[in-house]
Amino acid sequence: MATDAGSMFDGEADQGSGGDRTGNVVVNWMENLSEAAYAYLLLLPTFLLLALIAFYPLLMTFVMSLRENRTRGAEPLGGFIGVENYVDILTGNARLAQQFLDVSVSASAPFVELGTPFLQQALFVTVAFAAISVFLETVIGFGQAYVLDKEFRGRRWVRVAIILPWAVPIVIQGMIFFLLFQPEVGFGSDLMQWLGVFGADPLADSQDAFIIILIADIWKSSAFMALLILAGLQSIDRNLYDVARVAGASPWQRFKRITLPLVLPALLVAMLFRTMDAMRVYGLIESTAGCTTVPSLTCLVVEAMFGGTRIYATAAAVAFATALVIGLMLLVYAVLFRDTEEGFA
Amino acid sequence: MTGDDRSTIGGDLPAARDDRPAMGDDDPTTRDDRSPTRDLRPDGGHSSVEEPGEDRSSTGTSAEDVLIEDEGGRELDRGPFQRWVDRSIEDPERVYRSMFYVATVFFLFTTLFPFYWLLMVALTPEGNQQDIILTPNGFNPGAFVEVFQVIPFHWYVFNSFVIAAASTAIVLVVASLAGYAFGRLDFPAKGPLMLLVLVISFFPPAAFFIPLNDLFNTSFVALEPITGDGTLYNTPGAMVLPLSAIFMPLAIFILTTFYAQIPDGLEDAARVEGTTRLGALFRVVVPLSAPGVATAGVLTFIAVYNEFFFSFLMTDGQVENWAPLLEGILGYQGQYEVMYHLMAASSIIGVIPVAILVIVAQEKIVSGLTAGGLKE
Repeated sequence: MATDAGSMFDGEADQGSGGDRTGNVVVNWMENLSEAAYAYLLLLPTFLLLALIAFYPLLMTFVMSLRENRTRGAEPLGGFIGVENYVDILTGNARLAQQFLDVSVSASAPFVELGTPFLQQALFVTVAFAAISVFLETVIGFGQAYVLDKEFRGRRWVRVAIILPWAVPIVIQGMIFFLLFQPEVGFGSDLMQWLGVFGADPLADSQDAFIIILIADIWKSSAFMALLILAGLQSIDRNLYDVARVAGASPWQRFKRITLPLVLPALLVAMLFRTMDAMRVYGLIESTAGCTTVPSLTCLVVEAMFGGTRIYATAAAVAFATALVIGLMLLVYAVLFRDTEEGFA
Repeated sequence: MTGDDRSTIGGDLPAARDDRPAMGDDDPTTRDDRSPTRDLRPDGGHSSVEEPGEDRSSTGTSAEDVLIEDEGGRELDRGPFQRWVDRSIEDPERVYRSMFYVATVFFLFTTLFPFYWLLMVALTPEGNQQDIILTPNGFNPGAFVEVFQVIPFHWYVFNSFVIAAASTAIVLVVASLAGYAFGRLDFPAKGPLMLLVLVISFFPPAAFFIPLNDLFNTSFVALEPITGDGTLYNTPGAMVLPLSAIFMPLAIFILTTFYAQIPDGLEDAARVEGTTRLGALFRVVVPLSAPGVATAGVLTFIAVYNEFFFSFLMTDGQVENWAPLLEGILGYQGQYEVMYHLMAASSIIGVIPVAILVIVAQEKIVSGLTAGGLKE
């Protein structure tokens, strides 16, 4: 088996009748490598794959984003124009159906003016979605983690039930909430209209559809938060609670003084993961309300690519800007992490 | 503190009650049924040695006794709700316990109800989909057969399985090598390289997509015998390659933690016996880390099966072109009619494989996700 594996990773040419002997040569060569060289050899397949799928495309995306859109002719990209595409998407001048960001500075009170409605600007949609969903998922995830932290009969099945939404394919998650809020089928819209929250056609209204997508995301992803928070909860020494109880601490004080500080590192990691994930939202939108109603950052990339306008350079600029926005979020968390001492490497 | 309070106020309660743990550990329903009758024992003259279960056994006399005692109890406490409130004031833990049950029921309801409702929609005959809440309008299990007749849904599911299985296999082999290097070997630039791998998982797929789309639509002569026109578009490769790369960091991370825990002695022993380096990895370290490998495998499979972005954009949606599950489910949105009941039925069928995985491998899923999060 080792021989096979060796030949598999070190050269496809080793197949055939002479394969065994070549295999031995390869094995001998591997045996004589230093530890560091062997480690690099083992990492080679990983980095080849990542180079092909991640590093090279990322670099190419950046290069493409600096070129001109060319809508006629065989070649879709023109010459280098520097950061013009970025300027266009940040000032709301890109030839996109929905803008990345479209605000202008004004002289009077709030000093910024929205060029298009708030929920028709991809950056706001995505950041608002990430912030609200991660916040609510944290709260609900805490509740779920508390439930799962107790020992009770049937706990295993409660845990299955709580994890289940997390394991549902995105398209099915979207389908469930599409059907629930589709006025012809589901009662969700009737209920929300009765509560006075939704308008006449929720799936076509930016604000209503945004809420539907939030609900769908919270339904699916709270479990992920719950599991990571639960792991944090279970690593807490139970004696601390006994001591606090003897000292007369109320449950709220126990939560604030013991649970929260000790869970915080795990909580921050969970929130970080969820934020990164929420910033990429696309499939859920595509399978419920559609990208024109609720344009997220990824929606814009797909729209620019396949919208028939051939603005590939703009698509690349939006894609790379999306990566930058996520990178910025990462920095925010990195600063938070530094304060908590533990965690991040 | 709580136990003492209760026994002074409640009079001569059976001692067993004080030993009861504050929370959990006991079946909720039996405890709630039990406590009212138990508290009445002091004036009712029941033997306190009696097993709690026997109180509830429905022989005629004891049931009557309970009734009469109940009346007596109400004179003192003025109704069950007030009694509950009284007892809650004496013993705040009770409130938290009931809050716990309310929360549990709430979470169970919110997570499971959408599935139940989906089933009701699937069972309702076409055209009657109005106002379904708890029961279907009519009964038409035929939707679960029709799903396969209208479009070849089983082939979409099959495609998804092939893509998920192939990605999982690639991820496990490649991530095993990397996990071994990161977990068991010392080499310069180990930390930065690990960080580089992890950073990948933060980037949005959209940032990789445009050049990959070009690349997969480019014709390579070497690929012509395999894919026909030499491009990877409309082949499983166009989904397996990016999805393997994107979900590999988590697998590497899980495997690194597991492989690092294998004692050096075991590997040294195998090496002394004459095993090669790779042999030691695949015959000693990997088998000993079987739970870790299974964890990484299950998580990768679920992640690929559930993925939307590349699965949606890397094929033209035709089933013969390896379009996965999601195209099948979206395929019931026909040109002239929308078959809501089939959308629901196909969604239920699509959830079944992952639901089974969750039930079978929930410990692995939990440990894998938490390992990925906690050690980061």
